[in-house]
Amino acid sequence: MTTRHERIGALWTAALSPGAWVIALLAIGSGIAVLAMPVRDEPGLEVWIFAFEHGQMYEPVADEWTAETGTEVNVRVFGIPALARRVMGGFFSGIETADLIECERQMVGPMFAGPVESVGFTDLTERIEAEGLMGRINAPSFTPWMSRGRVFGLPHDVHPVLLGYRSDIVEAAGIDMSEIETWDDFQRVLRPLMADTDGDGRPDRYLLSFWENHLENLEVLLLQGGGSMFDMDGVCTLGSERNAEILAEVLSWCMGDDRFCTEINEWSNAGHMQTIEGYAIGYLMPDWMCGIWMRQMPQLEGTVKLMPLPAFEPGGRRTSVRGGSMMGIPKTTDQPDVAWELIRELYLSRDVARELYESNGIISPVTELWDDPMYDEPSAFFSGQAVGRAYIGEAPNVPPRPASPYYRSAQLRLQDAAVITGERARAAGMSTPEEILPLAREALADAQASIERQMARNVFIGEDE
Amino acid sequence: MARAPTNANKAAYLFLAPFLVVFAVFTLYPLVLSGVLAVQQTHGPDHARFVGLDNFIGLATDPLFHKALGNTIIYTLGSLLIQLPLALGLAMLLNQPSLRGRWFYRLIFFSPQLMGLVFVAMLAALVFEKRAGLLNQALQWALDGWLDPETAFPWMAVLDGVTWLDFPWLQSFVMPALILVSLWMYIGYNMVYFLAALQSIDKSLVEACAVDGAGPVTRFFAVTVPSIRPVASFVVLLSLIGSLQLFELPYILLDQTAGPQNRGLTIVMYLYQSGFEAGDLGYASAIGWVLALMLVALALGQVFIMRREER
Amino acid sequence: MHDRKTQRVFGVATHLALVPLAIVTLIPFVWLVLAAFKTPEDFSGSLFLPRDDSGAIDLTRLTWMNFVSLFRDVGLGRAMLNSIFLSSMTAVLATLCAAAGGYALARFRFFGRNAMTLLVLGAIIIPPPLLLAPSYQLLFNLHLLDTFTGLILPAIAPAFGIFLFRQATRQSVPESLIEAARIDGASEVGIFVSIVLPLVRPMIGAFMLLTFLMVWNNFIGPQVVLQTAERYPLSVAVAQMRGLYRQDYGLLMAGTLVSILPVAGLFLLLQREFIQGLTSGAVKG
Repeated sequence: MTTRHERIGALWTAALSPGAWVIALLAIGSGIAVLAMPVRDEPGLEVWIFAFEHGQMYEPVADEWTAETGTEVNVRVFGIPALARRVMGGFFSGIETADLIECERQMVGPMFAGPVESVGFTDLTERIEAEGLMGRINAPSFTPWMSRGRVFGLPHDVHPVLLGYRSDIVEAAGIDMSEIETWDDFQRVLRPLMADTDGDGRPDRYLLSFWENHLENLEVLLLQGGGSMFDMDGVCTLGSERNAEILAEVLSWCMGDDRFCTEINEWSNAGHMQTIEGYAIGYLMPDWMCGIWMRQMPQLEGTVKLMPLPAFEPGGRRTSVRGGSMMGIPKTTDQPDVAWELIRELYLSRDVARELYESNGIISPVTELWDDPMYDEPSAFFSGQAVGRAYIGEAPNVPPRPASPYYRSAQLRLQDAAVITGERARAAGMSTPEEILPLAREALADAQASIERQMARNVFIGEDE
Repeated sequence: MARAPTNANKAAYLFLAPFLVVFAVFTLYPLVLSGVLAVQQTHGPDHARFVGLDNFIGLATDPLFHKALGNTIIYTLGSLLIQLPLALGLAMLLNQPSLRGRWFYRLIFFSPQLMGLVFVAMLAALVFEKRAGLLNQALQWALDGWLDPETAFPWMAVLDGVTWLDFPWLQSFVMPALILVSLWMYIGYNMVYFLAALQSIDKSLVEACAVDGAGPVTRFFAVTVPSIRPVASFVVLLSLIGSLQLFELPYILLDQTAGPQNRGLTIVMYLYQSGFEAGDLGYASAIGWVLALMLVALALGQVFIMRREER
Repeated sequence: MHDRKTQRVFGVATHLALVPLAIVTLIPFVWLVLAAFKTPEDFSGSLFLPRDDSGAIDLTRLTWMNFVSLFRDVGLGRAMLNSIFLSSMTAVLATLCAAAGGYALARFRFFGRNAMTLLVLGAIIIPPPLLLAPSYQLLFNLHLLDTFTGLILPAIAPAFGIFLFRQATRQSVPESLIEAARIDGASEVGIFVSIVLPLVRPMIGAFMLLTFLMVWNNFIGPQVVLQTAERYPLSVAVAQMRGLYRQDYGLLMAGTLVSILPVAGLFLLLQREFIQGLTSGAVKG
């Protein structure tokens, strides 16, 4: 008879193979380790952001603030999808997120889809009104962060769009850009640059980097031309006649043998090579794009200039808007007042505005800072132009972008409409706006119907009215 | 059946208890709850309203759901029709008792499956990258000079003037890319099943057939196909079920999105987006039910076909 | 019928077909491993081994830096621990649960056995995505969101596992042996531990590894349930690296490599049982 001890030993070697043993031991060991390593819970304010660049800007200001107030600031960076997932998960379930969260525009739609009291951010309307911030910050910048009349975040930027162009090529050809006031002028004046000197049957260069499937730039042009996706009451306006006119117009730029647009990837090395080679003359440049160009294509220094966008009609709007972010205070925070203090410090301070401009080319939304002389300093990259002043000059004209839970869907529908119209028009051999207009109207009407169907399904939004 | 002795009852339920409790709470109850949710609209788990069959009506007219359905079916058919014949061929190559290093080949072909969809997607994201990616560099090396993408796919306007190095896998060819990845990943897995089936074929049957003077093709259809049919239909069913639930691969490959123009949107990805990005657990549940009905129909169909053949 | 010579020719031809296929299968792995040891410049500059300015292969350019920053800056060590914990704990508990349940269904005649068996078989066809939304709602109500318990608990009662162990018990645990032990006066639990478990040992190994792999590679579960970054397993943590380190290819591949190595090791340990367990159900069942 074996002892009980030996029997148990034999038993376990009998029941578990070496591999199974390893798993069992891992379970025990890791269990102890997990118990021994509690989840970090640091004192002070937790700030979640989505870009390393922002972190670098906030760091010195936050350090100074900590020195003054004694409250620690822990900044954590996530990718946009990850941040969106965590923020929404927290808002839906009521689980604590951070004390301050910086959001990119594409993240916020779903946050506003439920009853207004279910929005996970604190309503900042009163604070903003009490401190008179409405007047101090560029008005259109608030619109993406509002739902049902309430403001849920402080805007970080204005992001006006100007036309960036290869001044070296234009000037070498003896072309005077000041003749250009409208997009019609743009193609007429620059057309000589599209000559085919190498004889491959294609123009050596194109005039504008734009293509019908580019979601953001479609929106940029739509907003510039006075089109819109939603009105101030949140009603979908995708199918409006103005939208159809603009869509038909910009599609005609990409159609037929005399098309003057081409597709250049804004983010890849391949695209950068084409830009450096001068494959396209003009670019739709939001202010943040300037910083990216300076960092990623330093070769372009002295060959680029900015000017207001050509208008759709004489006297029309010469700018637009692309991208944007805000900072808000989740309702779960236990120190909303301290968090508000930090937002003000980060977003309204002159130091951050300087850093924002100097390292990223982005202008501050705070109008009282616009007189800062740094905005007037000539930029070597942009051939001696005062870039900041150029953007500030157009900042008050930036079109509003009323928020909607369905904004993202509407953008995607707009893109679909453009692609579908483009395909049909090409198949029919069309190339003028007049020919394309009926197709654009039809596709946009479908898009609007689709968004309306989606909105009609939402039982929460109507309840508040 | 005779009445079971009480202590057998007690012992059996003792052994079953952990399973039964957890199963009841975390499978049966959610199953019921998903029925309840399917007739609700929610905003996160905390706000819900009864909407009747509105979710299902919405799905029937939802172009995104149709897109998801279409993509999933393309992927399923693509991976099934390309992968299974190749897996069978591979298994037949390996099914030679005299072949040296058989276990080694088997291990190699099986290995991608171990990686898991998430990590395969991470790898694939870089393999399909323009310029620096492995696949485009290989294509450029192999095809440059005698076939360019424009000639290979003349109906794709996006390929005008594009070299193989810039071939837009993740922009314009999402589904082919996914089918390629799943081929790499699952061919060895399916091969293991086929190999086991081939090995269990009665040798005397094959020899009898050979003695009768049947050629390899005749032998394949007369002996091999009928013998492996049960396993083959099991593998088909398993692949169908797996393919229809595709999610992680495109989701991570396309950086947690559905890709340009929703070219990578699948049924489960739409379920995830509706439930956890937009917060409508009701709509997500309705999508889940449509998926479940599809799978049950497939499984029942397979049982039906098998039964009829047995007769 | 076959003489030696044709057989050998045939063998060589088979190898000629298999070797290129094996290489194609392995190349992505090789590329992955090398990329993990390369700087971003070398990643775009060379397809496999890094080259110096003259174009000659230069092994000294390989670097550990990606792994250093992986554990130091990205904090993947914690995710690794979480993955190991979630996978091994679930594997152990689920295997115990399934082995006990499978044994009960296979070797007891009890009231409601047929109903139970049907329940288990029925549960196998429930697609997991169907339960995603209601489980989230349930975990929310139980206050188990953002906890390890909320991930482990629902995973320890796998219907498929019960089914596998029911088959394994039927095949390898003779009824007579259990009866004999009962006559000897052994307790029911004693019989299960000292007779049944050793006899189904291959299935224990296979099912443990299967569960371990499934949990290790599970993305949607932790993505939906967990909220705090310190609790993320590798699948979620590595997937999130893409958004933040988009251009840092070496780092991304190092993260992927680190995530698959433990699984590869375990698989090599349990390979034989795994493939046996995996295919036995299909062929014999």
